[in-house]
Amino acid sequence: MDRRHFIKQSTLLSIGGLLIPSTFLSACRKETLFEDINYDGKVIIIGAGAAGLYAAYILKSKGIDFQILEASANYGGRLGKLTGFANFPIDTGAQWLHGKNSILGDLITKSNTKITLDDSETKYWFNNQLVNSLPQNTDIFEGDDLPDISYNDYALQKGLGNEYKYIVENIAGDQGAAATRLSVFGNNQDEENWNSGDNDFKFRETFFDLIDKEIASRVKDKILLNTIVSKIDYSQSTIQITDSNNNTYNADKVIITVPIPILKSADIQFIPTLPNEKTTAFSKIGMDAGMKVFLKFSNKFFDQNIIGGPICAAYADDSVGKAQNDNVLLAFIMGVQAEYLTSLGSDTAITTTLLQELDTMYNGQATSSFVASHVQNWTINPFVKGAYSYSTIGMGDARKVATKPINKKLYFAGEAMNTNGHHQTVHGAVETGYREVINILNDIKK
Amino acid sequence: MRAVLFGMLFFTFNSIIAQEFRTDISYKYIFANKWDKAIQTYNFSRPFLEKKQPLLMHGLNASVSYIFKSSSSLKHGIHISYNYFKSSAENENLKNILNLHFLNLGYIIHYENNEKTKGLYTDLIISAVSSGLFRNVNDEPFEYDEARAKAFGIGGDLSIRAGYYLKLKNKIYLSPFVLVGYTPYFYSPNSEAVINQTKGLVSNNWTGIFTTQVGLTLHIRQHQND
Repeated sequence: MDRRHFIKQSTLLSIGGLLIPSTFLSACRKETLFEDINYDGKVIIIGAGAAGLYAAYILKSKGIDFQILEASANYGGRLGKLTGFANFPIDTGAQWLHGKNSILGDLITKSNTKITLDDSETKYWFNNQLVNSLPQNTDIFEGDDLPDISYNDYALQKGLGNEYKYIVENIAGDQGAAATRLSVFGNNQDEENWNSGDNDFKFRETFFDLIDKEIASRVKDKILLNTIVSKIDYSQSTIQITDSNNNTYNADKVIITVPIPILKSADIQFIPTLPNEKTTAFSKIGMDAGMKVFLKFSNKFFDQNIIGGPICAAYADDSVGKAQNDNVLLAFIMGVQAEYLTSLGSDTAITTTLLQELDTMYNGQATSSFVASHVQNWTINPFVKGAYSYSTIGMGDARKVATKPINKKLYFAGEAMNTNGHHQTVHGAVETGYREVINILNDIKK
Repeated sequence: MRAVLFGMLFFTFNSIIAQEFRTDISYKYIFANKWDKAIQTYNFSRPFLEKKQPLLMHGLNASVSYIFKSSSSLKHGIHISYNYFKSSAENENLKNILNLHFLNLGYIIHYENNEKTKGLYTDLIISAVSSGLFRNVNDEPFEYDEARAKAFGIGGDLSIRAGYYLKLKNKIYLSPFVLVGYTPYFYSPNSEAVINQTKGLVSNNWTGIFTTQVGLTLHIRQHQND
């Protein structure tokens, strides 16, 4: 072989030797998961909240048969919309987009949905007066080596005395919890995993509108409303679901997206009963009472945010980020404060009590300019029973255990089942919706 | 003037210590399983995107190397290379681009035996690899909390390269080459957050990376008796 031939052949061999495996590898590398999946089984999703709707949307995109069973008369779960109360639409449930770096951030950009950064100003009710800042730093709940004790106890340890009680209640309330129940250690771990961004955004319309227009609208025809699931029998190869009217539904896989109190209180009977480690894990995930009260006034006497009230630790001007500016103040009430107000027994009593607190803060201006109120008490909703999940003291890896599928038949989604720090959020719920479809398809492939 | 001065210094330096100076450009193919999974999950979980995000697969590489003077057929040298990969998907209102940059700093063991395999050479390259993964949305760097979404990575790479010298002019050679590389453990903890905007849902903090390259190298070689 002469030199010219050798060069030619070795070059061709080298390039061929490189390109053939590369081309082969490229052909094997699919752009999306389960590109060629072909599943003719049926999936039933229990709950038409963000997680359930998104799981349905993904199943539809893969051509898989599904049905959504929703206990209440509406879809959306803990998302809701109130119109006619003010000159802008009101979010009765989830309201803020917590960070843009999420799947919903992409959906918002894609759908050209209008959102605004909520950088409204805060005043504190401290030592019976409204102040612009607090004497002591309250940013003490993040860092290394934090103990597994409550926010309340840790604040006292760090010298935040009784005058900070409702400031701390507000910090815990942001996590949907009473300060005596939220774990400093557990919540800090959640914060370390958090990666969607710290800025909060408000919707020009409502959060519900985004989910409704971009997700629910694609799967609405598959939702059975007013269908209260009472029993799930997964003892046979076909899973049989029974509702409160004794109607039955058969499925090969079930995605359960109901709020954690529904699982904790065993409102759904499982046959066979769920493993002990599962029910123990459910019991360790916290979810406290929560309500939103919208107070409409004839003039805007209030500040954009008022933190630290003993009745309601967080008030917020609800018109921030909206196209119109009716004088609506949101009372965002969590934990023990929500329990107390719920115990008053009526919306009128709740409203009166809140107005009394605002009168104290603003020299009687609340009652004199009060126009109307709307109470959205998620605690007394029998299909929700609270606000959103939080990390309790001694919770450990309960969320991970709670999330594990059972017998390749039962799959668990919803905000409480988010194990990477995004529980309590709509985008966290959405993540669990598609995660469980991935789990189902992985099980089918196996 | 500055360029001329630099050129003179370079050739002086090259003739003193270097047996060979190389610069090359090549096509590079990359297979990083965990990044594939993150992009596949991104596409799977976003049916609202009509156009899917392509996998990070095809890129360009540019590098320079010095082989130090030695009378042995086994020589050694240093190597620095830059690689760039891009994945772009343009949907209505959402143009998403992933830009992946690598910088390799390596040590070369170079083998050539003119008596046995005239013109043929092989290199074993051991490199430290660093990377930067960035996301652009609608032609702007994607930012949240007033900071750019980014993921940096680090790892070690082992590559084998083979080429064939073609003499163009005195001391100047051209060689086509192929290269196969493997990075068993590339630590890039934030890459899932940049690609799929999640953490711990899709992949671990690391990925294995397999690469192949084909390209052309320009050599300035000192002859053994220079």
